[in-house]
Amino acid sequence: MNRFDLLNKLQNIFKDNLVICNIGLPSQELYKINDQPNFFYMLGSMGLSSSIGLGLSLSQNKHVISIDGDGSVLMNMNTLATIGNRAPSNYTLLIIDNGSYGSTGDQRTFTDEDTSLKAVAIGAGCKNVVECSGEETANKLSKAIDDQNHSYVIISKINSGNVKIDPIPLNPITIRDRFRKFIGKVKYL
Amino acid sequence: MKISKKIIANLKEGGVDFYLSVPCKLLANMIDILEKDKDVYYSSVPREEEGMGICAGAYLGNKFPCIMMQNTGIGNSVNAIVSLLQLYQMPVVFLVSYRGTPGEPVGAQGGMAKITEDILQTLRIPMLHCSSENDLEKISTFSKHAKVIESPVAILCDFNLMKED
Repeated sequence: MNRFDLLNKLQNIFKDNLVICNIGLPSQELYKINDQPNFFYMLGSMGLSSSIGLGLSLSQNKHVISIDGDGSVLMNMNTLATIGNRAPSNYTLLIIDNGSYGSTGDQRTFTDEDTSLKAVAIGAGCKNVVECSGEETANKLSKAIDDQNHSYVIISKINSGNVKIDPIPLNPITIRDRFRKFIGKVKYL
Repeated sequence: MKISKKIIANLKEGGVDFYLSVPCKLLANMIDILEKDKDVYYSSVPREEEGMGICAGAYLGNKFPCIMMQNTGIGNSVNAIVSLLQLYQMPVVFLVSYRGTPGEPVGAQGGMAKITEDILQTLRIPMLHCSSENDLEKISTFSKHAKVIESPVAILCDFNLMKED
């Protein structure tokens, strides 16, 4: 299972939640699979999907899923300490860990060598850390969302590999405004 | 404490209701005030760039965020400012302790102080430079302005203004 297969399998879970999606191919694949107004596509700022989702979950009550990658979490690893100490129960960090920098040509990341993001997350203070296969991810993610009392970090171990895909044709303000409209924060559009 | 109280009161008057900080000793009194304030959210964060991301999410959730940091934090955050906050036009207030300005005892802080305003100008971020107590009255209007123009703005507080507070 690669990232596209996984996102495709999870689309029905995503569509009922607020989703912050990582820059590059993850966002492009999600857009192609089933674009929704409640998906916030990152067009820049690699590493900050987990942080944007955390700020959003602290600011309103709907459930937030941050879709992140192993390369991006390695870039902003302090986020795991902040999540471990501050994440509310309406927050789930989904790390799609394919051991590679997919958007830049599938160069190996350190999770393909000796680094365990599960061990880092636990060490950083995250309490509900689940590492699972791509096939198990839908089940684990549903359980995390249903648990009203705890936040989760799910690390989905999948294969590297990408599908050929175009950039997202939405401009950033469109992404921003339809997302805020979905959660009832802007009246226009 | 008087200066810190005034700054926070003006930020709150300007609508700011979500605060992060990467601590600085010049911000210590403000952090104390915010930790006791039940009307607003406050947390420290390990790194400013990460804080920019959290502020972006808070804005999406209809909060008006402020990140408090040393001027060194601007340097840590340039890409997040440009390709997140400015790309999506998100109002965020940067409350900056301006280390390396006159009165600063640590010489090494001078390097970032020399280029802080140049960086902010290059980024086209409106600045409010506070060097006396009277300047603090402008903070609430300046903060509201960030929402009007949908842009991050920076408030720079000089070392000498904060050191005796």
